[in-house]
Amino acid sequence: MLKWVGAAVVLLILGAVIGLSVMAGGLRGAYGMVRYALPHMHRGTLRVGDDAPDAALLALDGSSRFHIRGRTGARPLVIVFGSYT
Amino acid sequence: MQIYKDYKDHADFLTVYVREAHPTDEWQMKSNVKEDVCYAQPKTLEQRVAIANDFVKRFNYPTQFGIDDMSNAANDAYAAWPERIYIIEQGRIAYRGGMGPFNYHPEEARTWLAARYGEVKHEASTATPDKKSN
Repeated sequence: MLKWVGAAVVLLILGAVIGLSVMAGGLRGAYGMVRYALPHMHRGTLRVGDDAPDAALLALDGSSRFHIRGRTGARPLVIVFGSYT
Repeated sequence: MQIYKDYKDHADFLTVYVREAHPTDEWQMKSNVKEDVCYAQPKTLEQRVAIANDFVKRFNYPTQFGIDDMSNAANDAYAAWPERIYIIEQGRIAYRGGMGPFNYHPEEARTWLAARYGEVKHEASTATPDKKSN
């Protein structure tokens, strides 16, 4: 029995490694995904209809600040989150 | 940034820079090396500002731009990393995009805007595919 459980665990781990490698483009990518990406990826709890959270942002000049809510008005606000890399 | 050009007369657009997804000191992508987009994960707000400015200048990026602070408050509030799109209307979430990269679909935001303001069609030869910076 123990042997079968061990084999199942090994197969699961192997499947996970292969799956992640395919998604991330190789073993190194799979490591990067697990080590650096997964800890920062969250589905979040916001739903359509929820109040939009506010947050302070820094402008490109590096000194002035504004709030997301300060940019919402009569028109819809499309917010695109991302980075350069 | 076709979606911005198509709907800027109807909606406001705000791009928010959050922590890097593929910096040189973490999970760097070969494509970024090829395109000379190589930055370490910023440790200070000044470094974030510098990278955000590089991005805006390189692509002549037209929308309003904000930078999340080092506490990642905006990122945490919106579960934004590595990339995500929302539409806010009258203070409420009107559209919530999926978490990138696998569920990042700017065309959904376009569909939302098209349903509200009408579809904007392009000739096949001139249409710009909606990608990350939509």
